[in-house]
Amino acid sequence: MLTHGLSRKASGVGLAAHPKFSNILMKKYKITGLAAYLLILSSCSDSFLDLTPQGQLVGSQLNSPDGVEQLLIGAYGMLNGNRSGTWGNYASAPSQWLLGEVTSDNAHKGSNSADITTMNDLERFVPNSTNDNLETLWNRCYEGVLSCNSVLRAVETLQSGSGQKLDPQRATEIIAEARMLRAHYYFFLRRVFVNVPYIDENTSTPDAAVTPNDTDIYPKIQEDLEFAVANLPTNKPKGDVGRVNKIAAQAYLGKVLLYQNKHAQALPLFETVMASLPDLTGIPFENNFQTETENGPESVFAVQHAIAGSVVDNANVGDMLGGYYGSAPVTCCGFYQPSIDLVNAFKVNENGLPYLDNSYRNNTYSSDLLLPGDKSSFVLDKSIRFDPRLDYTVARRGVKFRDWGVMPGDGWIRDPAFGGPFLAQKHTINLSEFGTQTVPGQEYVTGLNVNLIRLADVYLMAAECLIEGGDLVKAMGLINKVRERASKLPKKKAADDTDAANYQIGLYTAFTDKEHALRAVRFERRLELALEGHRFYDLVRWGIAKEVIESYSAYEGEYLPAYRDIKFNNFNNYFPIPQSQLDRSSGALKQNDGY
Amino acid sequence: MKKFFHKNYWYILMRISGIQFFLVMLFSGVSWANVTEAQQILDRQVSVQAENQHFKSVLADLEAQAHVKFVYSSSLIKSKNRVTADLVNVSLREALDRLLIPHALDYKVSGKQIILRPSSTVTPIQPKKTSQRTVIDISTLNRVVKGKVTDEEGQPLPGVSVILKGTTQGTSSDADGLYSISVPDGPVTLVFSFVGFGTREINVAASVTDLSVELTEDKKALTEVVVIGYGTARKQDLTGAVSVVDVSKMKAQPVASPVESLQGKATGVHIINDGAPGSTPQIRIRGFSTINNNEPLFIIDGVPFEGKLSWLNQNDIESMQVLKDAASASIYGARANNGVVIITTKKGKAGAAPMISFETYVGTQVPRRETFPKMLNPQQFADYLYASFNNMNDPTRRPGLGSTTGTNYGTGSTPVLPEYLLAGNKTGHNITSADVDPSLYNYSRNLSTFYQITKANKEGTDWFREISTNAPIQNYQLSISGGGQNSSYAVSGGYMNQQGTIIHTGFERYTFRTNTNFNIFDNRVRIGENFQYSKVTAVGVGVNPNTAGSYQGEGSPIGFAYRIQTIIPVYDVMGNFAGTRGDKLGNAQNPVALLYRAKDNKGSSHNLLGNVFAEIDILPELTFRSSFGLRYENYNSISIGYPNPEHSEGSVNNSLSETHGYNSDWTWTNTLNYKKTFDKHNLGVMLGTEAVKTVWRDLTGSRNEFFILGNLDYYYLSTGSSNINNNSSGSKSALYSLFGRIDYGFDSKYLLSATLRRDGSSNFGPENRFGTFPAVSAAWRLSGEEFLSSTNWIDDLKLRVGYGVTGNQRIPAFQYLPRYSASQNNSYYPITGSVVSGVWQSNYDNPAIKWEELRSLNVGLDFTLFNYTIDGSLEWYNRDTKDMLYPVPMPSAAVGMGSSPFVNIGTMNNKGFELALNYHYNQANARNFTFDVGLNFSKNVNELTFLAPSVPEQPYLSYRNLQVSLLKPGEVFGAFYGYKMIGIYQNESELSGGYPGARVGGPKYADVNGDGKIDANDRTVIGNPHPDFIYSLSFNATWRNFDLMMFFNGSQGNDLYEVTRQFTDFGLFGGAISERLLNAWSPSNPNSMVPSPYDQRSAYEMNSSSYYIQDGSFFRMKNLQLGYTFGDKIAGKYVKGLRAYLSATNLFTLTKYTGMDPEVSQLSSTFSAPGVDSGIYPVSRQYLIGLSLTF
Repeated sequence: MLTHGLSRKASGVGLAAHPKFSNILMKKYKITGLAAYLLILSSCSDSFLDLTPQGQLVGSQLNSPDGVEQLLIGAYGMLNGNRSGTWGNYASAPSQWLLGEVTSDNAHKGSNSADITTMNDLERFVPNSTNDNLETLWNRCYEGVLSCNSVLRAVETLQSGSGQKLDPQRATEIIAEARMLRAHYYFFLRRVFVNVPYIDENTSTPDAAVTPNDTDIYPKIQEDLEFAVANLPTNKPKGDVGRVNKIAAQAYLGKVLLYQNKHAQALPLFETVMASLPDLTGIPFENNFQTETENGPESVFAVQHAIAGSVVDNANVGDMLGGYYGSAPVTCCGFYQPSIDLVNAFKVNENGLPYLDNSYRNNTYSSDLLLPGDKSSFVLDKSIRFDPRLDYTVARRGVKFRDWGVMPGDGWIRDPAFGGPFLAQKHTINLSEFGTQTVPGQEYVTGLNVNLIRLADVYLMAAECLIEGGDLVKAMGLINKVRERASKLPKKKAADDTDAANYQIGLYTAFTDKEHALRAVRFERRLELALEGHRFYDLVRWGIAKEVIESYSAYEGEYLPAYRDIKFNNFNNYFPIPQSQLDRSSGALKQNDGY
Repeated sequence: MKKFFHKNYWYILMRISGIQFFLVMLFSGVSWANVTEAQQILDRQVSVQAENQHFKSVLADLEAQAHVKFVYSSSLIKSKNRVTADLVNVSLREALDRLLIPHALDYKVSGKQIILRPSSTVTPIQPKKTSQRTVIDISTLNRVVKGKVTDEEGQPLPGVSVILKGTTQGTSSDADGLYSISVPDGPVTLVFSFVGFGTREINVAASVTDLSVELTEDKKALTEVVVIGYGTARKQDLTGAVSVVDVSKMKAQPVASPVESLQGKATGVHIINDGAPGSTPQIRIRGFSTINNNEPLFIIDGVPFEGKLSWLNQNDIESMQVLKDAASASIYGARANNGVVIITTKKGKAGAAPMISFETYVGTQVPRRETFPKMLNPQQFADYLYASFNNMNDPTRRPGLGSTTGTNYGTGSTPVLPEYLLAGNKTGHNITSADVDPSLYNYSRNLSTFYQITKANKEGTDWFREISTNAPIQNYQLSISGGGQNSSYAVSGGYMNQQGTIIHTGFERYTFRTNTNFNIFDNRVRIGENFQYSKVTAVGVGVNPNTAGSYQGEGSPIGFAYRIQTIIPVYDVMGNFAGTRGDKLGNAQNPVALLYRAKDNKGSSHNLLGNVFAEIDILPELTFRSSFGLRYENYNSISIGYPNPEHSEGSVNNSLSETHGYNSDWTWTNTLNYKKTFDKHNLGVMLGTEAVKTVWRDLTGSRNEFFILGNLDYYYLSTGSSNINNNSSGSKSALYSLFGRIDYGFDSKYLLSATLRRDGSSNFGPENRFGTFPAVSAAWRLSGEEFLSSTNWIDDLKLRVGYGVTGNQRIPAFQYLPRYSASQNNSYYPITGSVVSGVWQSNYDNPAIKWEELRSLNVGLDFTLFNYTIDGSLEWYNRDTKDMLYPVPMPSAAVGMGSSPFVNIGTMNNKGFELALNYHYNQANARNFTFDVGLNFSKNVNELTFLAPSVPEQPYLSYRNLQVSLLKPGEVFGAFYGYKMIGIYQNESELSGGYPGARVGGPKYADVNGDGKIDANDRTVIGNPHPDFIYSLSFNATWRNFDLMMFFNGSQGNDLYEVTRQFTDFGLFGGAISERLLNAWSPSNPNSMVPSPYDQRSAYEMNSSSYYIQDGSFFRMKNLQLGYTFGDKIAGKYVKGLRAYLSATNLFTLTKYTGMDPEVSQLSSTFSAPGVDSGIYPVSRQYLIGLSLTF
């Protein structure tokens, strides 16, 4: 419209300007021609300006069965806690090393005190709402939720449309997969923040921005998992090892019920899972922590990690800070160090049973920590009675570590005076796997899967339910299966190829009472699942976080001053809602009590 | 020279002042014509060889040669007029000069016509009824005043207008400069004016009849023609705020980018330099107008360009204009918010003999070493380290333990420096003489067999000195310009080589330019082209002329020079690089090694920019112009990684990464220009369309593990065996615009201008694709008014007011669409055990998105005073940016990790005041001593007035524990953010109410919110990166053949944030420590503001606080140049001009800032962060010798 106006103006001016020229008609013709020319130029402007995004897709391009499947892969893609980039996805790691372990009596942040200090705040239970790690977990999990919602909307659009549709059975399966994944992402949020807004596929983007966090979402999580249990096949959909199946859904639903102390409801689910899978005692413990044997029968629900060519983004980026330091074949970054308390908890008595009364803290074993100078006087004490799982859980000086050679102590540690003398092991891989499971220069990122739920975890969760239900004997049977399997572990060697410890593991013969049984199952969870991201959440659901953390602080602080005087308040059972999210929600979100 | 100058100009009647103009109009009755056109006609080459020929036949011959038509009354040239002349290949101007003056004739160009008339005329005029002038009856004229008008050298000036003030009565001087005018009895005032010379008003006493007058050449010609948007205008007719940069003064500085030489040359233009070779400095016009991209739009020979300008050769530039306000810039619509810089390159002159010029300078650049931060020497460092543990008062953390100070300083209560730092796996004092046996040395790529022996450097390594060097700079330019009767050309080639003062960095540039112009069909059609090719190569770490450069920051060579301990030597005992491998040597890299290993890193770009154009005179007053401009940049770079086993976090990998890409833009502009004069009314109308298409695309790849290292002939991606990566990316955008301008002037006193542009941008969706940007402005030349006519000291005075709207569309494209992405590092998942592709919604949409809008009001006053000795301008402006595009972060529950769309929400305001003031001394006596002094003063006050309600404040730019910058309504853009340090905790009793981990000797912060504790809520604005004002001072003097130039610039009242203090003052990552710590707080030094050494500092101590902030004001002698112009005799027969000069830049800098250089370019994060110093590339001193030679 405006174009036209301008052009007319052009000819108007032209006419007015030259009344005295005799060849006015000629000029008029020329000017009108020009005006027409301008008009032609402008009329094509709309198509000239209508460009399409480069290297991206718009929604209509995904409205196909393949499009839906691709969106579903995108929803799985958040399981490793990483949407883009490698660095920075620590708190959202599926291993939950930071919020599940560093925040417990099991581990320290490591590195040095100045490095990522917001993690120190988490470890000391003084997080504030601007703690970047909390925001990391929050937005990674919501990204997962929204990706699932995208799948659900896309299925709906496709199936109600007129074009090529999904096979209805596959459509239902896809919905079940997406809802199971959504339940997982919400569960991660629920555990850490308690009060979170629930966004589903029917919530518009503007509505999602102002959805309050005033309703418990466990029922919603349960609904999704129940749908998954009902609609997922026992075999992995499409035969893909990384997909969720009915067994995983049952285990996850059981876990979610357990977290609500609905032991009776949870137990049958765990029992079904155990019945569906081979007996634990036949599955080697170490199979869980090496890439050749991952995705075995113990792996109920594992986050798949892989190195693709040289791209590490689909690998275990959440645990990358846990790469060793110094002269180790991985030279960054020295985070995630087991506590002295955890290492000592692996001590066993003459019966090969753990010290349930915390007397493992007597005669503390602290490796070379207290030695003066260059610590050259260190001698490995091989006489200590240890659960063999210790040296499959931590790395300690003088003990052969995987196929890397003898762990040299401080040479692999960034600041032992801060993080202690030990290193975490379960997220590392063998040197022999380096060729395919990591890339040169980024050896801190590996292709090792992380189990969200593995069979031993199910055994111990079932044992808890049995104890709460009063069946101590059956519970003890399950606990002993876990211990029996552990007893089969090959013994780790010292530099001289002798056993690095007096490895012992015995079976429980009886539980004196429910209290004893509970202590035993809880201690067993700590040992079996140490550094796998359960500990803090277990302490919280058992209601013993304050007592355990403060006692641990008093003990650990004797050796490592950074962990003295940790105070644990009731509100430390959960974490503050990220400030940025409160700010962005136009008041819809409320901060958690205590923060 | 002088003579030549005015001969060229005195005929150009376009440049006469108002009354004379009026006279001419009445006399000739012809229309006002385009001045450049008139010049072109007069530049045409002609030859006249006549022996006593009839004047008319000579004129007829000239008509044929120059394609012009002479118009004259038959009474004017009689048959008795005969001519003798021998002129070969001279300009028409010169020919007319020679032919007409002896016959007391004058001429005037009007279109293709040249009007001849008597050069001395007494012209009685009937004033208009509306005129305010006093009407003097001719009958009252009863006295004759006569005399001679000369220039300052005593040469007669013909054609000078002599007016009886207050009347339209006047005459002009004849060929001998003689005039004669009848005036009434009694005292009168005569006004003498002449183009290119200062107007003089002389009070003539009643008795005086003989009056000779000397006129002074006016170097600040107001009649200068300047290039504005899609056209030209006389400077005196400008109604907007346009800074015209004196390009001749810009040449004085050795700079890679023309932008750098703009520093201090135009008010309101804030330039921040960067010492990296070939860098383009940061340019801000009238402050930061947006939280987004603040780069101005460049128009180079009509072709728009956005980006860095290092590829453009400054010697090719003929003129540079900065359009600062909306009145002048809004013709560029949606791209004009940040101002527009119009650059025109040199053109040839029709009818001019070929002129060959050669210019060169060579010199050396010397790092300003005295500004390098001083670090503790090894013994001082050891003492500091001991103190940092002793201050903890923890028996388990006492110094001398392996877990505290490690093996380097012994186990005693006082430190003992080691002889060696590393021998194999042994460190510090544990190293025995057996361990340092050179036969054990093994510089291996296998870390398990790697055996390095490194001696401690007890004197301490001065790392800044090690990475710096004196560096040569050289520049050559050869150009040829000229023209024939119907064509003109300018061709040039240039070469520049600037080595960096940081080792192994450098910049090299080749430029070629050709500008040609052809006149055809009797000059009714003009076609031509302007094309430039340049090849630009940058060498070394992060010295990329197109980006800020990765030499900044904690992982850069300069960052490491701050961070690496001084006890570490540069080389080990065998001459390989030493490093932080050892015990507690921190995790810095050896910066010398890093720079050396990057010596083969290279980034090149090939730039082609230019246009072809055609201009057709449809009518004498109406011109159609079409110009098609193209920019094509092809860029490529390689970067090589080497093993760095000496580094504590080193690796044994080597790698190659390679990038290839292109930018391709075209711009097609069509304009219609109409200019017409009716009596005193000048009307100009311009209408146009413009289409712009922009595309870029690039391809990157990298691999590790090459069979041989360091061999550039072997480094191809295909020869690497692991870490295979490849990616490509790109974007497209388009802009289609309609625009127009109307200029109206009455009597050159009242000037009005209105522009309107309508832009359609592919960046916006169907809802808001088109934006309209109007502007109006007006100027009033007060000096042309009667009431100022008695004020002698005012030569020219013009008041300008302009208001208009400009836009900013520079945001990522397609914000109006929801978009999904599929890429391996985002959405793929190893669902089958190996990775399978997937898709995610990466971008959320805002269908209503539109451009940012800036409404600006500008009031300006231009003045020329005291007989042209003082001139300058004052500007006041108020710029309101609204609908600022801001990616308001939405809650993750709504967008996950996808990008929130930009929304139009923020507002920002800039108010400012600018003063340019120049004084010219003794211009009349150019052979003797003359000088000019110039002062530029610019004040801009920025305020971010409003941001999204959901974002009360947004800290950004994180450096480890620091969050440095802040967006907050009511504050300046990029305000510094953190705790306000109010002292040092002196004793235990002060600690209550402190932050967690507060200690005696630690920093004490203000409890800003008064809640009795220090926490994140006590963070506040602690500094302002924007200067209160910037200023510059220039001084130019000539004396005989000598010329001297001095240029100073300064910035006052801006704060700088010295990020590096987190390393050097707080010991982050265990690196070098600043000498400031020698004065750290201790019970015996209680007044110090430097926190005492402490090993386990609370995170709060290291957080952003006012401890990092300093006053960044500075005053710098930017340039000093002394030149000598050789006289004809020395220069020789063929040499027309020869000037040699010596020049020095950055001779001294006055500042209290403790960082390397107070000129700190912004860093870019989500938003740009001004004034944050993370280790910049400091500018050097440059000493040059230069030569310019003309043949």
